[in-house]
Amino acid sequence: MLWYIGKRLLQSVLTLFIIITIVFSLLRLMPEEGYLGAAAEKMTPEQQEIILTNLGLRDPLLVQLGNFYMDLFKGELGTSVTYRTDVPVTTIISEKIMYSLLFGLGAVVMSLVIGVPLGILMAHMKGRWLDRLGTGYIVFVVAVPAAVYYIFIQMYVTDLFNLPLLFDEYNKMSWILPLTSMALAPTASYAMWMRRYMVDELNKDYIKLARAKGVKERTLMFRHVMRNAFIPMAQYLPATILFTITGSIYIESLYSIPGMGGLLVDAIQRQDNSVVQGLVLIFSSLGIIGLFLGDLAMALVDPRIKLGKGGSTR
Amino acid sequence: MGSNNEKPRILSIQNLIIKFKLRGQVLTAIRNISLDLYKGESLAIVGESGSGKSVLVKSIMGLLDKNGFIDQGQILYKDYDLAQFNTEKDWLRIRGKEIAMVTQDPMTSLNPLKTVGKQIEECVVLHQGLKGKEAYERTLKLLRDVGIGDVEKRYKQYPHEFSGGMRQRIVIAIAVACNPKILICDEPTTALDVTIQAQILQLLKNLQEMYGLTTIYITHDLGVVAKVADRIAVMYAGDIIEIGKTHEVFFDGKHPYTWALLSSLPQLGSKGEELYSIKGTPPNLFNEIKGDAFAPRNPYALNIDFVERPPFFKVTETHFAKTWLLHADAPKVVPPQSLQAFFEEGRRYAHE
Repeated sequence: MLWYIGKRLLQSVLTLFIIITIVFSLLRLMPEEGYLGAAAEKMTPEQQEIILTNLGLRDPLLVQLGNFYMDLFKGELGTSVTYRTDVPVTTIISEKIMYSLLFGLGAVVMSLVIGVPLGILMAHMKGRWLDRLGTGYIVFVVAVPAAVYYIFIQMYVTDLFNLPLLFDEYNKMSWILPLTSMALAPTASYAMWMRRYMVDELNKDYIKLARAKGVKERTLMFRHVMRNAFIPMAQYLPATILFTITGSIYIESLYSIPGMGGLLVDAIQRQDNSVVQGLVLIFSSLGIIGLFLGDLAMALVDPRIKLGKGGSTR
Repeated sequence: MGSNNEKPRILSIQNLIIKFKLRGQVLTAIRNISLDLYKGESLAIVGESGSGKSVLVKSIMGLLDKNGFIDQGQILYKDYDLAQFNTEKDWLRIRGKEIAMVTQDPMTSLNPLKTVGKQIEECVVLHQGLKGKEAYERTLKLLRDVGIGDVEKRYKQYPHEFSGGMRQRIVIAIAVACNPKILICDEPTTALDVTIQAQILQLLKNLQEMYGLTTIYITHDLGVVAKVADRIAVMYAGDIIEIGKTHEVFFDGKHPYTWALLSSLPQLGSKGEELYSIKGTPPNLFNEIKGDAFAPRNPYALNIDFVERPPFFKVTETHFAKTWLLHADAPKVVPPQSLQAFFEEGRRYAHE
């Protein structure tokens, strides 16, 4: 087991380095005017050159990359170039990351708590009204673009329940709508998967044998079917959880939540390399951690995955 | 049908009709079957795919698919009429505890995420009322009983660590762990290779004696039947058309379908000649069947076979067949040449 974890961990770190290096290289391909900001036209070419040299952009590419990694190992992500000049990137991100994480985690918990039981119930009552209702909900959420029902919720539901239109840190009520909006889509997908895998399992021979040996339908559901249906879920869950946490750009701008979502777009537009690199590092770390956790969860719940030097077989 | 004075009756199916709703149509899968099962015997139900063998035994355990239902008839077991059962609570009194089942495909019949020990123990706890250490010990004993060695280690292993034959032994252990009175084996050897088949059949036979079980085998393999069954019921198109002691059906079969079935045994074919096969296809069960269901494929069919359904004609005290050929007014018809030799040989063998 430890061997397996170590191996996967090493793979993850390697992947992370590759991603960062690619992003670093791509950013260096962008036109240089962006670094000079609005004042570029008034500068002489010499002045421009001085600014660019000070930013370290005239060093050979490998040296730049080396410097970047040196800083990274010290836990520094550099200072912002244009977004908020000379403010450390860590400071900029840490001011915002809490909002994104809180909303993301809130939405994940909400969608799991509602989505998974909904899927189980739908599988249990396959073909009956609850199943149809749930399927309708899933189809709606998947088929209608998110922006449409996000705006709809903000426009009408605020009136309906007299909820605040914009996010306000000190007003707990203002958390409700953004959270609900964010949870809608993941709830649907958890319900859909759970239902699907449960139905798959219910049709298998071992369920017939369990029935024949006199296991109660309820015990059968909880002890046999649910756990087995969770295995394919276990693989997807961490990655989707992280997707939910990081994928809230639209909601954040809609309710003017001071989160991370808008920051990346801003930073790219202003060509603030160090901020972009910092954000990419965080997002890709989260993604890779998600995949790592997914594999780990699979290995923990499925005895058919053999761990050890033989590699994994199924 | 088929009285037997030595043993008491344990299960009695009377005038059972089972129908299925399918795509807006109604299909009659079991067409008025009556069958008695005697304590301690082993009965084999043979017939081709779609003849209703599985449906018949599933109805005994309340495991019919959702669109299937018992239209009329009774299934008497102890003081219950199983045909009237419709809640889960009713069936839980029967499933496992009284009637257990060995399923067909051992590769998919076990829960892949539970150790085999736990899967057997689930039955022990559920039906024998044992807990903890006692249940564990009983599970180990069951593993030993079905011929698995190194039981402590095997208890903790998962199904994927067992071979097909071993898994079938586990499935059998699960069925026996329920401590049932009746054991239904639904094609227990179909998914196994021939050498393993023989071992599994021997095991089932041993367990039957050890635990005093009454067994029902469902199979389309007459070779299996010959090895294990005391009695044979031949099914065709949802009806039992011949029933009797194994040697009676094998060596003195009366129904032309039984003849056809026996003639198509590869062992009976002579080298260089084409193996016998039954012409035509079984009737469509969506339509109402008039007369003898086998008549259209039956070279010996009489006119009445197309008009009126034959009743059971008594051959001996234990042997009955549903064919008009046994009627006193019917013309004398003898089984095909190749079969006669087989019958002759068999009878001689049976006498010795």
